[in-house]
Order: sequence, then C-alpha cells, then structure tokens
Amino acid sequence: MPSLGMADINGFISPWRCLVIEDDEANAGHIAKAFSEQGYEVHVCSDGSEALRLGLAEIWDLVILDRMLRDGVDGLAVLAELRRRGRAMPVLVVSALSDLDQRVRGLKAGGDDYLTKPFAISELLARAEAVIRRCSPPAPNRKLEVADLSLDLFTRKAERAGRVIPLQPRELKLLAFFMSHSGQVLTRKMLLEAVWDYRFDPRTNVIDVHVSRLRNKIEQPGEAQLIHTERGVGYRMRAPVEASQDSAG
Amino acid sequence: MSEAGEASGPPWRSVSLRLAFFYGVLVTIIMMVTVSIIYLRTVTVFYRNMERQVSLSMGELRARFVAEGGASLAHEIDQQLLYNASEASDLFLLLGSDGSKLAGNLDQAPQDPVHLDSSGRTLVVRDGRPAIAYLRLSELPDRSRLYVGNDLRDQENLESLVASSIALASGFALLLLGLGLFVFRAELDQSLEPLRTTLSQVAAGDVRVRVPASGDRDEFAMLGRDINRMLDRIEALMGGVRHVSDTIAHNLRTPLTRILLGLRDWADVESLSPERRSRLELTLREIEDLIAVFEKLLQIAESEAGGARAQFGPVVVAAVVREVLDYYEVLADAAGARLWLDPAHDVEVRILGDADLIAQALANLVDNAIKYGGAGCQVSVSIRAEAGLVAVAVSDDGPGVPVQRIGQLGDRFFRLDPQVQGHGLGLAAVAAIVATHGGRLHFENTQPGLSVRMDLPRHLP
Repeated sequence: MPSLGMADINGFISPWRCLVIEDDEANAGHIAKAFSEQGYEVHVCSDGSEALRLGLAEIWDLVILDRMLRDGVDGLAVLAELRRRGRAMPVLVVSALSDLDQRVRGLKAGGDDYLTKPFAISELLARAEAVIRRCSPPAPNRKLEVADLSLDLFTRKAERAGRVIPLQPRELKLLAFFMSHSGQVLTRKMLLEAVWDYRFDPRTNVIDVHVSRLRNKIEQPGEAQLIHTERGVGYRMRAPVEASQDSAG
Repeated sequence: MSEAGEASGPPWRSVSLRLAFFYGVLVTIIMMVTVSIIYLRTVTVFYRNMERQVSLSMGELRARFVAEGGASLAHEIDQQLLYNASEASDLFLLLGSDGSKLAGNLDQAPQDPVHLDSSGRTLVVRDGRPAIAYLRLSELPDRSRLYVGNDLRDQENLESLVASSIALASGFALLLLGLGLFVFRAELDQSLEPLRTTLSQVAAGDVRVRVPASGDRDEFAMLGRDINRMLDRIEALMGGVRHVSDTIAHNLRTPLTRILLGLRDWADVESLSPERRSRLELTLREIEDLIAVFEKLLQIAESEAGGARAQFGPVVVAAVVREVLDYYEVLADAAGARLWLDPAHDVEVRILGDADLIAQALANLVDNAIKYGGAGCQVSVSIRAEAGLVAVAVSDDGPGVPVQRIGQLGDRFFRLDPQVQGHGLGLAAVAAIVATHGGRLHFENTQPGLSVRMDLPRHLP
C-alpha cells in the first residue's frame, strides 16, 4: 500500500512523530508499519528506561504505550514520570490487562485513551488520530460546518443547504461528534464511548442503525454523501471532493 | 443478602437469651432442691422433735400416775410448769373423772375432738387466750383425762422465718439471674461484634479485612483466629485465580494481537487474488469471533471475582434503563418490534453499583428479547422498587422458553437455538453482573413470552 502522504492526514508540513513503546517485537513491527503507511515518523523501543529517556529527550506528537515492558517496568510508571516532568504529549495506552479497574488506572496515570489487546489496527489508527487532534484542538467552535451542512451547538439547530433538519438529542450528539471529527475514521467503539458513554461492546448492529437513521436525515436524495462507511472499521464524515473543505484541519 | 449482614432478630431468638434461660431453669431446680432440704432439715425435724417430746412427756406422766397416783401426778405437772414457766410452750391439763381441772396451764379441755386434723393440731384456750397447739390425750385408769401438748407458736414462727428467708433468697437469685442475663448478652454481643463486622465486609467482596486480634485466649478469640486463617487461605486462593487469569489474559492477548495484526497486514497486500482475500477475510472474522468469546469469558470471570465493587457508586436505575432503551429503540423499530418502558416505574430509586455494568446486563436482555421475540413482538421493561431492592424486568411476548430448559438459562455456552447467531454467553454475563451487585436473576415463562427479572439490592450486604 502506498504511503498516503502528509497532506492527507493533517496538512502539516512535518510528519507526526510517533513513539511506539511495546515489548513484543512482532506487534511493535506491525504497529510501526501501519503508522508508517499513514505517513507517521515512527520510532520503536521495548524497555522502560529507554522509553523514558526517549520520551524526555525528544518531541513526540503521539506515544503508543504498552503496559508490560521488557525490563519488567509497568508502562504506567513511565507515563506517570513523563507527566510529572511536564511532558503533555498525547499517550494511547495499549494493554493486555483489560478490566475496568485497569482502564481507570491507565487514564488516571495520564493516558489519553486506553485500548485493550487484541485490537484491530484500524481501531488503533483511528483512536491515535483522535487523541492527537483532541490534544491540539481548534478553538472551540460554537458552529460546526462540513460542506453545506451546519450545526449550531448553542441553538442546537442543524441545517443543510438552508433546509432545517429536526434531530433527537442523541442524534444531535452523534452528528456533533461526526462533524467535530470530520475527515477522521471513527470506529463503532469510539462512537459508543463518545455518544452513549458505554465502555462495552453490545456486539450488534445497533450503532449502524443509528448512523443509518442520521444519514437519512442529513442526506436527502440528490444531496452529496457526507457520512461514509469504512468497511470493517467504522465511519468517516467528509465533505465531497469538489467542495474540498475540512473543518477540523 | 447474606446471613452475616442481617440485623439481629427478635430478642427471643438470641443464643445468649436461650443460654441464660436454660441456666435460669437449672438455677431454679437447684434452688428448689436446696430449699426442700433446708425445709426438711429445720421445720420438719423441729416438729418431729416436738412430737417426740410430747409423747415422752406423756409416757413419763402416765408412769407417774400408775406408780404414785393422781395427786402426785398433779403435783408433778405443777412442778414442771413452775420450772418451764419461761419457755411456756409445754401445755398440760389434767381433768378429773368428773371433768374438773386438777392441774395444768390450759383453761379448759378443747371442745372439739382433740385431733382437729391428722397432724394433731387443735385450738385451745390458754390463760384466757386462744392458741394453736399440738395436743395429745390420754385416758388414765381412773377415768381422769390427761392432755399433754405443745404450743405451736414457736413452730409457726420458725416456719414463717424459713419461708420468708426462702422468698428473700429466691428474689435475690432472680435478680442476679436477670443481671447475669444482661451481662451475658452484652458480653456475647461484644465478643461477636468484630466477627460479624469482618464477615459482612468479606461478604461484600473485601477479602483483605481480618478480625481484629485480641490478646485473650477465650473461645471467641480462638474463633477469630480460625476465621482469620480461613480468610488468609481464601485470599491466597483468590489471588492465585486472579493471577492465573491475568497471566492467561496477557499470554493469550499478546499472540492474538500478533495474529490479528499479521493477517490484516496480509489482507492488505494488493496482489492477493480475490479468492485468497475472501478466505483470509473469513479467517479474520473467525478469529475476531474467537476473541469476542474469549473477552466475554474473561469479563464474566472478572465480574465474578467482584473486583468491580471497588468502583461502585450510586446509580439511578431508571436513567440507565432509559439510556439503554434509547439506544435499542432503533433496532426494535428495524426489527418490527415495539420496545417500551412501563410508565408506572419508580423514577428516582437508586442502587449501589456500576452504571456501565448494569447497562450492559440490560442491553443483553433487551437484545435477546428483540432477537428471539420475533417480528411484531412487544418488549416491555419495568422497574419496581421493593423492600431493600429494585426489580428490573424485561418481558417479551415471543415464543418463550420450554419449561424443562428454563433452568439452563444463564449457563455458559447454553444456546436455546443453535441456529441463531451467538455464543451462549450473554445471559451468563448478565448473571455474573447481577451476582456482582449481590442480586439475583429470575426467569419466568409468561405465556406467551419470557420475563427476565434482575433483583438488585439497593445496598451491598
């Protein structure tokens, strides 16, 4: 697969720098490969002391951090130390420890998101992009716009090409999440967590039904498609190519 | 709710009270035996002595009469009365054959037959005053009559003295018994309190607590040490199980990640033939399915270990239910079913728990109801506040479950209809979540349909 190039993800001049701290070589390799393909500059390390040294010495746009490291160090200890020394870069904790308690500990130690192994690489990529963007948010916008669709968060009014779209509160929340992450892939899990605040996966197609309803409301026959299905991953909202505008970028 | 968490029952169910009662009965029996012995040894013996004295005296006087005649007898009686004036309990009366008084300290012969009752008690008049006396009569050879007896005033004084002593002693004993009972119960409660507190904390899921050590070497201190040893063992076992499942989780998750990422990498290779790609996709889906089962099992194990309790907080049940229904309404619509919340529900009732877990359990139940209820089915959710618990029921009017299989619902890997997609872990997960909350899961055939009810206690035991 050819590299997507910088402009496709962020439009920045320099590529995002990503530090992958993971003790399993094969997994580290897969993660590094996937991020490289997305245009990231990736550096891999497998033990805690090296991770801490690198984390402190260089500037990173993203850290992917495994819990159990080669030298027996808990990744969370590295994270806590980085935070203690004022390093505020986004950190996505990846762990084979799954229960609720572990997740809470991961987030408390300063993680921006917590993903349990095994995960699909697409889930990791989507979440990585989300935490990077969350950590450098654009000025909070009262009004979201994607192509000819606009949503006023204050008056809770959605409009497309002058047509007012009536929305239920939950649909509004879903649409707002899509619009504020336009251009990004959003997995079903991410939608569940952000819109319903559920940490579990009901494992049905319910979320698809919700998205399909929202689609029916915002995309009337003849109008350009805004929410696109990313096969096997989730959804992405983006403006039609000719309108080429990206509210988040 | 566990036994250990129960409040103390009615006072008569108390062991200390029962023990004190049996102890009291025992004391009463001992007391009655002792009192009987004292009574026999004092009053009865005293009476017998008096009887013997009277009969001896009678014998002597008769002998005197036979040997020396009536005048000598009268003289002897006067002499004895003179010596014994101070004691004044001996009674004599000698009547001539014509009925005239010859000697003695009784005014006249008793009018009634001498023996008023079998004990020989009779009413006499002595120095103008009536008195109760023990009196014997002997007819002398010259038809004169000799009465010999004893004034029973002393006997009665003694009897009433003994009786009042016994009453006093009994009253005092009862007072001590009541006091003992109180002390007994307080002592038992005080010894049991730390045990009960510790055990109810353990029942609530905290196996790290221990019965506070006391320097005593009594039964309760020993029981406390036994319980602590048992808790040490339980904690070690649970820690072992947890460690094993953590290790399993870690050692399986890492290679599973490797497989998943590796295969996905292959599936992305562009030169792959469409046939190989579809096979690879199929394999990937199988693995993802396997991972889902694995995650569900781990999650059930985690729920059963009760670790989530550490994060329990107040949960407004109705809010969680509304969220889940809000989420599932669109699915019900799409499946042609109707999903609704019983409007008569209690809106404010809270329980101590984890909102995410309760939502998950409810989502599983609603999902099942829609999946198995069939097109056009009605799924209703009700919330009822009962004493100490909140009952959340999900009912459908679908085909229900055959009675003989209803007991298997909630077993791991049990699937009612193997044709329907699933792993047979949904209800097992619900059961584990309900158990974590200290509640119970009930299944009921409602004909038509199935009703599943989660009884969630408002507070942990």
